[in-house]
Amino acid sequence: MRPLTPRRLLSVCAILAGVLFVVVVLSLRLGAYSISSGDIVMTLINRVIGRTNQIPSEFNLVVFGLRLPRIALGILVGASLSVAGAGFQALLRNPLADPYVLGVSSGAALGAILSLSLAPHSPLAMQGAAFLGAVGTIAAVYFLGRRGGQLDSSTLLLAGIISASFLSAIISFLMTTLAGRDLRGMAFWLMGDLSSAPPADPGRWFGWLFFVFFIAAGAIYTTASDLNLILTGEEEARHLGVHVGRVKLVVYVSASLLTGLAVSVSGSIGYVGLLVPHVIRMIFGSDYRLLIPATAIGGAIAIVFADTLARMVVAPTELPVGAMTALAGAPVFIYLLRRRMR
Amino acid sequence: MSGEADSARTGAGSASGSFPPGSGQNPARVLVEQATYAYAATGRDAPEFTLGPISFEGDRREVISILGPNASGKSTMLKLLAGVLKPLSGRVQIDGSDASELDPRVRAQRVALVQQESALLFPLRVWEYVLQGRYPYGRRLRFQSAQDCRMAENALLQVGADDLRDRWMEQLSGGEKQRVILARSLAQEPSLLLLDEPTQHLDIGGKVELLRRLRRLADENRFTVVVVTHELNLAAEFSDRIVLLQKGKCMRSGEPTEVYQRDLLEQVFQAPLEVHMSVTGKPRVLVRDPDIAAARPGWTIDPN
Amino acid sequence: MQFRKSYPSILFLAIALGATAARASQAPVPPATTVPKPTAQVTDELGRKVKVTTDVRRIVSLAPNLTETVYALGLQERLAGDTDYCDYPKEAAGKPHVGGPMSPSIEAIVALQPDLVLATTSINRVETVAALERVGIAVYVSDPHSVEGLLAGIRKIADITGASASGKSMVDDLQARLDSLHASLNGSTPCRVLFVVWSSPLISIGQGTFIADALKLAGAESVVKSTRNWPEMSLEEVIRLRPEYLVFARGHDDPDAGNLDALRKKPVYRDLKPVREGHVVSVSDSIDRPAPRMIDAIEALAHQLHPEVFAALRDDFGPRDWDSASWLPAKAGAKEGYLCGR
Repeated sequence: MRPLTPRRLLSVCAILAGVLFVVVVLSLRLGAYSISSGDIVMTLINRVIGRTNQIPSEFNLVVFGLRLPRIALGILVGASLSVAGAGFQALLRNPLADPYVLGVSSGAALGAILSLSLAPHSPLAMQGAAFLGAVGTIAAVYFLGRRGGQLDSSTLLLAGIISASFLSAIISFLMTTLAGRDLRGMAFWLMGDLSSAPPADPGRWFGWLFFVFFIAAGAIYTTASDLNLILTGEEEARHLGVHVGRVKLVVYVSASLLTGLAVSVSGSIGYVGLLVPHVIRMIFGSDYRLLIPATAIGGAIAIVFADTLARMVVAPTELPVGAMTALAGAPVFIYLLRRRMR
Repeated sequence: MSGEADSARTGAGSASGSFPPGSGQNPARVLVEQATYAYAATGRDAPEFTLGPISFEGDRREVISILGPNASGKSTMLKLLAGVLKPLSGRVQIDGSDASELDPRVRAQRVALVQQESALLFPLRVWEYVLQGRYPYGRRLRFQSAQDCRMAENALLQVGADDLRDRWMEQLSGGEKQRVILARSLAQEPSLLLLDEPTQHLDIGGKVELLRRLRRLADENRFTVVVVTHELNLAAEFSDRIVLLQKGKCMRSGEPTEVYQRDLLEQVFQAPLEVHMSVTGKPRVLVRDPDIAAARPGWTIDPN
Repeated sequence: MQFRKSYPSILFLAIALGATAARASQAPVPPATTVPKPTAQVTDELGRKVKVTTDVRRIVSLAPNLTETVYALGLQERLAGDTDYCDYPKEAAGKPHVGGPMSPSIEAIVALQPDLVLATTSINRVETVAALERVGIAVYVSDPHSVEGLLAGIRKIADITGASASGKSMVDDLQARLDSLHASLNGSTPCRVLFVVWSSPLISIGQGTFIADALKLAGAESVVKSTRNWPEMSLEEVIRLRPEYLVFARGHDDPDAGNLDALRKKPVYRDLKPVREGHVVSVSDSIDRPAPRMIDAIEALAHQLHPEVFAALRDDFGPRDWDSASWLPAKAGAKEGYLCGR
């Protein structure tokens, strides 16, 4: 009998953090602008100890202006999507659930497309509008997905699927009829793209993003042991003292917020929210007290790695990262399916 | 595999904390007093189904069986005992507190409801499943303590499923799974164990084994067991008390010999029955052949 | 209850991590060259105010039409990089590439150390421009909606890059050709044409496009009155609109577009009046590329649609090679007699 201990939790997270570190270093190293590892290390050290004027301006630019923000965004998006996916899989009692199944990304896409047609030259407006679209969808699906005052898994799933299709239909309609606007950017957004530049003050922007991430992911984490029980049966969980209704609400809102956050800055990157939780489960087990932090780091690894590939595979053209996750995702999915059947 | 080994038992039935320390009172474990309940299709319609008033008591180490034909309110009674439903009048108390008023966490420490297994979404090991029974005792992230592991270990031993510990839940057979589910409920250290028709899918050997085990657990852990069942004879053999329901009314409650009266049973179950005494002094119910009875009136033995 | 107790610690953790992220990603120091060069403020075609050095030595072009313009202005020595799609003139393909116009590698652009990056709203994404702005690179965005706008834009680019003289002379020449074209066509009824961008599905052009303007200058008008840029239409609509000519753009992907024999075999198409009468014209696809060659394409189209007007010229100067950048001035004084409008 080896129940989860804080020590095991920390050591698994440490291992995964180590892998993430390696991937980040790799991603820092690779790029169209050639800069040696030694120079990267020097740049980082100089920055940390405050000797910014010692760094050649271009190194500074490439490392801190281009690569690090992209990596940071990748970590945020990967962690958000994976935790949201794990949460939804428990909430909806469905291993095929991914963060987009409840229509949050379609709502965000609608916000983005409206912003693109009304204010085409402001990427920040697009992010804000996408997030608003996501929040609106969260509220709408919540009210549709209730049954007897509480969130019911199957009703919620249906409400989400219907909303997603409806919103997608509106988006298709808009994309063909909006007068005179070339919605080129939408294609990239729909595929998922990490190249959106943070605004002029990246510090506050990233600070805000990570703040929301930790609040939402933390909220889900407080329900981790409840989720373990709910997964063996809702009635049984209730009899064991779990506040099932409250747990579902917390998971719903937090996972949806995480999805909205990720989607509004990077479009709808697919497969990560679905597959990373399954892979982590296969390696480390289904205990949500371990699963949630492990999938967060695992998702970060997956996205940063996929983005690095997307940048290098047909350099200097940069593929959208969603294309890479889709390419890699399908074989992984098939492999997982076959393992389950055995 | 002999389930009699109890060397590892550390008084799992004591459930410390269920009585306020120093209370001289030792109320009956389970007290149902004039409890009633009613279902209606909507709030304003006349009730479709009324249960009660029902009264009975259960003490430690007792096995109580609730019997009755279908739709007689057995499951509703069980839900009242579990605190899931609140009685419209009367009271349902466990260790002196109203079952429905208890905080869910505290209630889970007192009452365990053994249910049919539901499909598991993700692979789970047996010991993980049983450890979940310790949920009501944990805090925050609920990392299990050594005490929790010991309790879970005990529970598995008591049901004779100790060797299944590292197996995957989905690989278990029906009987094994049921024992594991029972173990999880035992890990809750309840004062009251509730079972809703647990013998449904078992063969006769399984049924006997289960009821025998429940009897033994009630003795060892000193809790009360309430079983809803259709098995008239097994219930008679293993129960201390029978509660006989029909259409929501309590027809009789008491010892098996008191309740198993031919006329009463025939009326409740609407079937030709006859009651005999076994060598152990427990009543046995058999289907009566109507022709024989007609030919030889008065052949059934009335144990009164 | 436990849930509420963990609120403060999660909040604290989130704030702490957010603050760390914020500190670690301050805005980078913009690149400073060793000797700061004098700069001038320029307003681009989107109204953006851009600071560009007065001595532009290194240019990166992010679109094929801009690359053509750079070559036409004689600035090819200063072109430090262009996109994979830049194919005209042939030498442009030999320049260092930064990727595709829609997803170039920002790092590759930075590595080329450009003084000025040229972009256009017709093919580049607003995210790319924003990203370049953020790393402190001067970007001039061209936004032509008409041929006149194109010429003005070329003048402006010439002025910024210090090629004012060649810019002025080129634009004056192009304007003169257009004026002469206008004079020749003066009095001719514009031909009613259907411009086919794509055959299946059938896509034509809207009133706000470049091509519509080019058609007007070539003595034609599009029968499609739509405000959308690329309206899709049914063949029924084509029959109803009764164009006199079908005009196809001959491009790399579709060199056979407008092949009369092929059209004569196509169902429904073969029964259209223009096809039956052989009024099918194809022009080089540079009619859609806002660059000097567009004027050639306009002239070619005009000649094909109004043969009588230009018959005299043809006799004088022999058949023209429309794919070369020939600068033959047009002869004023056209003959009467035209095909269109009868």
